[in-house]
Order: sequence, then C-alpha cells, then structure tokens
Amino acid sequence: MDRTERLLDLVALLLDAHEPVSWAELKESFPEDYGSGSDEATERKFERDKAELLELGIPLTYVQGDEDRKDGYLLDRGAYYLPEPGFTPEEMAVLYAAGSAALASGAFPGRHDLQHSLRKIGFFAGGELATPRVRMELGAVRETAAVPEFLEVLWAAASARKWVEIAYHSPKRPEPSSRKVDPYGLVLRRGVWSLVGYCHLRQGLRTFHVHRIRALKMNTSKPRTHDFEVPADFAIDAHVPHAPWQWRIEPPVEVRLELEGPLVAQAGAHFPDARVERVGDRLRVTLTVTLLDALLKHVLALWPQARVISPDSARERFRDLAQAVASRHGGKA
Amino acid sequence: MSDVHERLRRLLFVVPYVARHRGVTVDALAKQLGVSREELLRDLELLTMVGRPPFQPDDFIDLHVENDQVWVDLDQRFSKPPRLTGPEAAALASAAELLRPAAQTALASALAKLEKVLPAQAKRLYRELGSAVNARSLASEELGVLTRAVEERRELEFDYAGRGSTAAERRRVEPVEVFNHRGQWYLYGWDLGRGSERLFRLDRMTAIRRTDRAFSPRSMPPARVPDPAERGEVRVRFTAAAAPYLRERFGAEVRELADGGVEVKVAGEERWLTQWILSFGGEAEVVEPASAREAVSRAAMRALEGTR
Repeated sequence: MDRTERLLDLVALLLDAHEPVSWAELKESFPEDYGSGSDEATERKFERDKAELLELGIPLTYVQGDEDRKDGYLLDRGAYYLPEPGFTPEEMAVLYAAGSAALASGAFPGRHDLQHSLRKIGFFAGGELATPRVRMELGAVRETAAVPEFLEVLWAAASARKWVEIAYHSPKRPEPSSRKVDPYGLVLRRGVWSLVGYCHLRQGLRTFHVHRIRALKMNTSKPRTHDFEVPADFAIDAHVPHAPWQWRIEPPVEVRLELEGPLVAQAGAHFPDARVERVGDRLRVTLTVTLLDALLKHVLALWPQARVISPDSARERFRDLAQAVASRHGGKA
Repeated sequence: MSDVHERLRRLLFVVPYVARHRGVTVDALAKQLGVSREELLRDLELLTMVGRPPFQPDDFIDLHVENDQVWVDLDQRFSKPPRLTGPEAAALASAAELLRPAAQTALASALAKLEKVLPAQAKRLYRELGSAVNARSLASEELGVLTRAVEERRELEFDYAGRGSTAAERRRVEPVEVFNHRGQWYLYGWDLGRGSERLFRLDRMTAIRRTDRAFSPRSMPPARVPDPAERGEVRVRFTAAAAPYLRERFGAEVRELADGGVEVKVAGEERWLTQWILSFGGEAEVVEPASAREAVSRAAMRALEGTR
C-alpha cells in the first residue's frame, strides 16, 4: 500500500476508534504493511509512521491498559480537531495580509508551513477572504533564484536542529569556502535574508547572506535527533543590524548628528536606535557606531539636511570622504 | 520536507474543506491548495481509496468529482482540519511581524489566540522557533492608517517631502496598495493634485490623515519601484573594493574593468543619482554625461565647504 494512503487509513481508523487499538489489531488491519515480515521490521515501519503522524501534529499516544480497557494506541480527538481561534476581523486581516505578502514575495522561510497555517486559520472564515493589498519584494540583489529553496532547507534545519554544510561565496574571497553551520535563525533586513548560526570552522557565531550561498546540504543522519541546541541567551536581533553602521566591525564610537528640514520627521527611519533631542526646529541624534564609514557615507548623501557634529575624528573622516568624491569628479578644493 | 509529509498535510485538509465548501470546483480547490489541477485530481483519486479497515464500502471516504465539482458526504471523522503544528504557527507568526508597525494591538491579540489553539507539544516548538526568523520591518505606526485607508478605499492626505527636496508639500491621494521593497515601505496610489499614479515612501510622509472621501479604484499599471540597475544613460565606474556589491545588485549588466573595478549604466533622475554616488564616498565615479558628473562634484564641494 502507498505510504500516504496507509497513513491516512491509520488516521481514519484511530479517529473512529472508541477504545485503544492494539498492535495485534493494527497488524490485522494492515496485513500487507504491518502483518508480514519480521517483527522487528514491521515494528520499525510502524514507528516511522507514528513519528510522521506526530510531526503532523496528530495526537497519537500509547495507553497502558487496566481492568477496564486494553493496551493500545489512542488518538485524542479533542486535541486533534482545530478549534475555532475566534479571530476578530482586524486580527484575521493582519495575519492574512502579512502571511500572504510573505508568501507572494517568493522568498520566505517555511513557506509550506505558512501556506498550511493560512489555510487552517482561513478555514472558519465565512466566504472568500479579500485579496490583501499589501505586498513585499526583496529587490536587493539580482541573482536570487536559489534563495527560496535555500530558505526552505534552512527553515527545516533550524526546526529540526540539524547542522548544514554550505559553500559560501564571500565578496572578499575569489573562491567559495565550505562551512559547517548550526543554523540558529534567519533575519530579513533591507531585502536581504541572512543566516545566523554557529560556524564550526570559526568556532563562533557568524552571519551569512543567503544569496551568497552557492550550495547547501542539511545533515540527514538521525533526522529526529538534535545536532545542537540554541543557547538560551541567543537573540537573533542583536546579530543582524537594521543599519549598516551597526555591524560590529570597529570599537563603538558615539557620533552626534544634526538633522533639519524634512529629515527631522524621518529620523526614526534613517537612524534606527538613535537617541534624539530637539533643538529648536532641528534634531540632534546620537548613535552608537561600529562601522563609521557606513554612517558617514549615508550622511554625505543626505547633506546638508544631515551634518556631523561630533566627535572631531568623525568630522575629519567626513571631510576625507567628501574630498574623495570631489577629487574623482574634478572638483577643486 | 518529504513529499509524503506535504501530501498528507494537504489531504487531511482537503476533506474537511470540501465538506464545508460542497461542490467547490476542481480549479478553485487546486488554487486554494496551491497545486496543479492534475496533482489535485491524483490526490482526490487517492482519497477515494482511504478508509478504515476492514474496508467495507461504508468504511471509505465518500468523495467524488462530478461536472468538475468536488463533493464529499459529511464525514464526521474529518469534519475539521487538524490543529496547527509548531512550525506552521511559527511561520505565520514570523510573517505577521512584517505588519507589526501597522497593527501592534491586533497582532498581539491574534498571536495570543493562535498560541491558545496549539497543542502543548506544538506550543513548545512554536516558542523555540518563533525567535528563529526575524522579518520585522521598521516603520512608523502610520503604516496602519495606510493599510486601513487602502482597505476601506478612503482618500488620504499627507505632507510629502520628495527625495532631496527641502520643503514638504500637501498631497491628496487615492491609496491603492501598500508595499515593502528592500525593507522600505511605500504607498502606491493616484495623486489627485498631479493627476497621475505615484509612489510615495512612508518615511517621507508626515501629517497623514485618512479622510471620509470614498473613491472607486481606477485602472492603473502595477506599482514598481524604480530600479537603478535598469539600463540607463549614466555611466558609473566603481573601484575594486565596491565591485562585489555592484555585481550582486546588477548581475550580468556590470562591465568588468582591467583594474578589478566595474562599470555600470544606470537610470535615475539627477538628484537621486547624486545622492547615490555620494553614498559610495569616493568608490564611485560618474564618467558621463558631464552634467551628472558636475552635479556630483558640486554636491561634494558644498559638503566639503560646509564642514570647514
């Protein structure tokens, strides 16, 4: 019998059963599958089927019998059926719109899981759900054909806590390098997906851009055993910054900027995590910077609505960068 | 993910779904399940063979396709889909983070309800996995005003400071779509003052107000964020240090130079282009046209003089 069919039959049988179904009864019900062959082989087969059902969230348990009932397998019907979650229209709208946008972007980890959960939460909704008018595009890099597939494998590996082996192409090196990584998580920033995990080669936490992965393989041995545990104090947010000057490359420096004009209202979007202080119609923002050039280049593009106030070293470096642009374009100092 | 796993998940959903939407067409069902028509028909065929031992006629799921519609006799066993698994709930929760700025309160209560319907085992996995994906977008809460106005088809008013402009202008817009491109939120709509479709960046909009004026949607081309990587007339050279990033962004359209750098041709209006070149801080050089070169030179000189 086809395995999918057997598993469905098993669910049908157990959902119908009013008392535990014994191993002997299972063997009798599925003579070709569990009834023939060595005991060891058929038991192993059933164990694999059971594990598959448990993974699908089917509440299958083995009960020890007593005077009133026999030993056997039982499916807890109360825990099987999806209860109506009772979402308000607004709650439903946000889940549905965000979920659909993530799916339609074509690159979201766990897209099969996401598809199923959208279907399940939509199950009780009366009528057709309106097409959400929210969209997401990554748009940061050209060659992203492999990204959706890699995200799916990384999601599966992060869920199952299995290590992955990647061929990683860093822009700093001509050839891809092979790395073994425990995938702790995935982060989306500015249209770029990054993998954060423990790198066995470097023996520490590292961040990899998913679009720079050239090949990816998940450890398939002992699929139900964890290869690693994510440390309790791991916070993925801390590893992939919202702004490029937050990459931890240099010792932290406090940089103060002054903003004016329309930038005053946009400070939060341009300078995440900044401390702000209003001075008349201007805004002073103080930032902790660990990659100074990245900030200064951004400020240069925004000049004169953004200016560097302190420290002096940052002002000097800003002048150097402006000078470099001017010289390359024939400007005379 | 194994095929068996995926197929099983789908099939456990199909029966309750068809029981609830009796006579659903094959095409509509295939669309709902995200599979091809052929794949669905194979699934349905398999389902007709599913039953419980001892497989007497009454023991099978009574499912049939007639006139391209799918029917199932109410099957008590499969009246509802199974609960969400931990990974299913976690994937939904991490996707929902995209719209957190728009609906902070609704999202928090929705996620609480979601967690409540999870079995104990799934709940643990959900919590563990919930922090594994972070797709949180940065935006002001005003994003919620935008999404609601789009949904309810109400005109919006806001002050907008276009790229590089020094003063904001009041705009009246029929909002059509909200979208996120490269992590940046945009509003697409019909600008009533300009009489054409326009794209607005959320972070340049202030004093946003939803009006009570309803509108009927016009026919408009799909929204697109201008891509500098589209062939343009401005030739720009980049140093070897910046080249890898340009290769990623422009793909096959970069021209390799002897010194390890690259050259690209970009499109875009002068103000945007100047800012873009400045943001490379000397790693980029406009080759031609001369006007674009001069614009960059002037802007850099002004920044230089302004910091003395």
